[in-house]
Amino acid sequence: MPGSSVSIIEVDKYFGDFHVLKNVSLEIEENEFFSLLGPSGCGKTTLLRIIAGLEDVDDGDVLLDDKSILNLPPNKRPVNTIFQNYALFPHLSVYENIAFPLRLKKFSESEIKRRVDWLLNLVRLEEHAQKKPSQLSGGQKQRVSLARALANEPKVLLLDEPVSALDAKLRQELLIELDNLHDRVGITFIYVTHDQAEAISISDHVAVMNSGVVVQYGTPYEVYESPADTFVANFIGESNLMKGDVVEILSDEYIAVEFPSFGKVICYRDKPVKVDDTVLITLRPEKVRIMHNKPTPSDGIPGNVVHGIVDEVIYMGYQTKYFIKTDEGYILKVYKQHVSYLLDERIIKWKDEVFLYWNPDDSFIVEVEEN
Amino acid sequence: MKPGNLTRIITILAILFFYLPIIVVIVFSFNSSKSPEWTGFSLRWYYQLFTSSGYIWRTFLNSIIVGVSSSIVSVVLGTLGAISVYLGSKKFRKVMWTTTYIPFTIPDIIIGVSLLIFFTTLNVRLSLFTIFIAHVTFSMPYTMMIVLTRLHDFDKSIIEAAYDLGATKSVALRKVIVPVAMPGIIAAFFMAFTLSIDDFVITFFVAGPSSTTLPLQIFSMVRFGISPVINAISTLLLLGTIFMSVALRRYVRYII
Amino acid sequence: MTLKRKRSEVLSSGSGYEKYGSTYLIWLVIFFVIPVLVILAYSFLTRDYQGGIILKFSIQGYKDIFNLNYLTVFIRTVIISFISAAICILIAVPVSYYIVYSKFKNFLLLLVIIPFWTNSLIRIYAWIFILGNNGLINQLLLNLGIVNSYVKFIYNNAAVLLILVYTYLPFAILPLFSSIERLEKQLFEAAMDLGCTKRQVFFRVLLPNIKQGIVSAFVFVFIPALGTYAVPELVGGKNSRLIGNEIARQLTIARNWPAAAAISSILLILTIIAVIVFIYGGEKRETR
Repeated sequence: MPGSSVSIIEVDKYFGDFHVLKNVSLEIEENEFFSLLGPSGCGKTTLLRIIAGLEDVDDGDVLLDDKSILNLPPNKRPVNTIFQNYALFPHLSVYENIAFPLRLKKFSESEIKRRVDWLLNLVRLEEHAQKKPSQLSGGQKQRVSLARALANEPKVLLLDEPVSALDAKLRQELLIELDNLHDRVGITFIYVTHDQAEAISISDHVAVMNSGVVVQYGTPYEVYESPADTFVANFIGESNLMKGDVVEILSDEYIAVEFPSFGKVICYRDKPVKVDDTVLITLRPEKVRIMHNKPTPSDGIPGNVVHGIVDEVIYMGYQTKYFIKTDEGYILKVYKQHVSYLLDERIIKWKDEVFLYWNPDDSFIVEVEEN
Repeated sequence: MKPGNLTRIITILAILFFYLPIIVVIVFSFNSSKSPEWTGFSLRWYYQLFTSSGYIWRTFLNSIIVGVSSSIVSVVLGTLGAISVYLGSKKFRKVMWTTTYIPFTIPDIIIGVSLLIFFTTLNVRLSLFTIFIAHVTFSMPYTMMIVLTRLHDFDKSIIEAAYDLGATKSVALRKVIVPVAMPGIIAAFFMAFTLSIDDFVITFFVAGPSSTTLPLQIFSMVRFGISPVINAISTLLLLGTIFMSVALRRYVRYII
Repeated sequence: MTLKRKRSEVLSSGSGYEKYGSTYLIWLVIFFVIPVLVILAYSFLTRDYQGGIILKFSIQGYKDIFNLNYLTVFIRTVIISFISAAICILIAVPVSYYIVYSKFKNFLLLLVIIPFWTNSLIRIYAWIFILGNNGLINQLLLNLGIVNSYVKFIYNNAAVLLILVYTYLPFAILPLFSSIERLEKQLFEAAMDLGCTKRQVFFRVLLPNIKQGIVSAFVFVFIPALGTYAVPELVGGKNSRLIGNEIARQLTIARNWPAAAAISSILLILTIIAVIVFIYGGEKRETR
């Protein structure tokens, strides 16, 4: 079953006086796994419900394969939804829940059975067919709602935070399963989540939303590695955000920025700036290396070096988070991945004096204030 | 997603069905003529009700006496009953449930008749006191259920926390359980009071000749035919009901 | 040490809280359970013509009511109660469904609650005032010269039915309202999403999921209607006497107490059958 492309064209939506969606436009390609990512209240679920037909728009248009679907009621749209808390019909068995849309279409009993059995197999619930939803675990309920939504052979599957009600481990399993399912059914998936890790791990494209606006659109890699603004930088992964003044343009690619917090460092020039502009620089904590001895050029990188004292150590097993107080009193986050056995290293402890260094390419501009 | 238009039409018709007759009664309480044809605005029926209808006011007073006293007793016993169900053993809970459910599911008239026969057998003279007993009996299951519903909104751990913090049983009762149950207790009181003030059937059987209540009085007046004075009484009672419904609307969820 | 003892004492289940409920329980046993048993006993005793009974076993009370006249009353009562409960459900389901999802939910709910709290005699009177022989409509018809003498709108079975529905409709709406309110809104959205029309949502998702609510709403109307007294007394005709009227007549006019007790016992048994059929015959009720 081939999927459809979805175009959101300058959509506006108000709830009373509250402007929930502000002139939102998006292109979702056919058969891709697309994520709408944002904090709660950013409008992502409203947008999903508009595609499903559960909400009207105040302005704009929604196209499915270049045809407007706005005047189609939800029951006529070739789009199905996975609801956040599953919305399984409590009075029907697993089998009947999945058969529900097929019965509405008046398929023959044998055709219904053939399709439901296929779907039950797809979500590996064959032996639970006769159970009521109340007898299922959270993960199983989620899989029933998947099978039920796929029964209509929709062109687009909408998923509203489908794994948020599950515990962390199950969440991981279901995400992998969703990814496999997407590969098997080959239709368009639009996935709404507030969890950036979920979104960037399985999507082809991600749209990051904030306060009713799409603030960035791109591949997960683009969104993570070059966040469009402070909000995205903070929302996706973690970062150090530092404000400084441009003191020198070194080349087309690099600038020198003077930070009141820890002196002069070299940053990547990804936006046009001139001397004396104030810039906001982001630096991912895992891009910073930490060591006891001052690195020399023989250590490989002619990077930025900052001196500081370990202020806090949080051991996480697979990595350790350090909060380093620079000489000027600024706290910088540094995450160190444990690649080799811990005892091979000289362990960095609280109050140790350390040196941090990073590649100038990893500190780049997210916002510019011209002076 | 909204329910369809047909449900809207049915709802509007149902609301009209509820209110049109009541509104007609209110309008005609201000009619100047005795027959139900509009001849002009007048307060004469209210005047008559307030100046020359002492017997009606005596029955009203009886209703208030029974209503207040039976509601207080009903709420106290019902609240204690609810606490015992909330915190008591499983076996005891079952006994309480059964005893509470049965009066709920039995028609009022049986309660009335059985109490009449019971009082007569014991040679208890029918009076306001027997009405009081009857009203406590039929309202107690309601007060118990309302307070219990309120208590069930809370996790029992709040009481364990009180003990943990050093409260004794009676302190926990006074400082934690009763305050937590308070909205339910208030709702229960008004529920009991309304049930008592409105009750006709049970009171009909257990009332003595000198213990007529307002509903019994209205019944005999209505049986006699229509009268603008009944319209006036109805209007005043409706005002009281509307006032109470609005004041107590946030307690409604303990009742349904 | 004492603290330890106290803790274990208060935290173990069934730790003396039963005594709080004892007065409640004793009260209901004395003033409810025993009187009901007394009725059952009275139905098997001998009639005292002054009213009251003589302590001597007899089934005369049942014999007195074992005739076509009473059989008709019983059947009529069950049929009228059943029809009024069914009409109430037919109205109450769409109304409560609409109210739950209305923008004016709280206001509409209040509009249902007010009649629920209103004295039922007043509500009966309102209809007598409108439809009675000297009522508003008759007065209007006479004044307009459409009729020469009054039309008998009430004092028949239809009037009893109308006013029973009017009286008990709020009793059906409120439980249905709360059972619909408990349903997740997403169920309806999911149904629409899967291809249901609004009609199909109503019949395939709403109704099957509020079966229990419908059953209790039905019982909330049916049982009080079985025992109704004031409605048929005030707006019924000769052929609309119900069980309640017969009980009162035997008690106060005929002074045949064993017969009154026998009718009451039969009403009690009808009620118990209704409860078993409707509540326990359906899905097993969840206990808290």
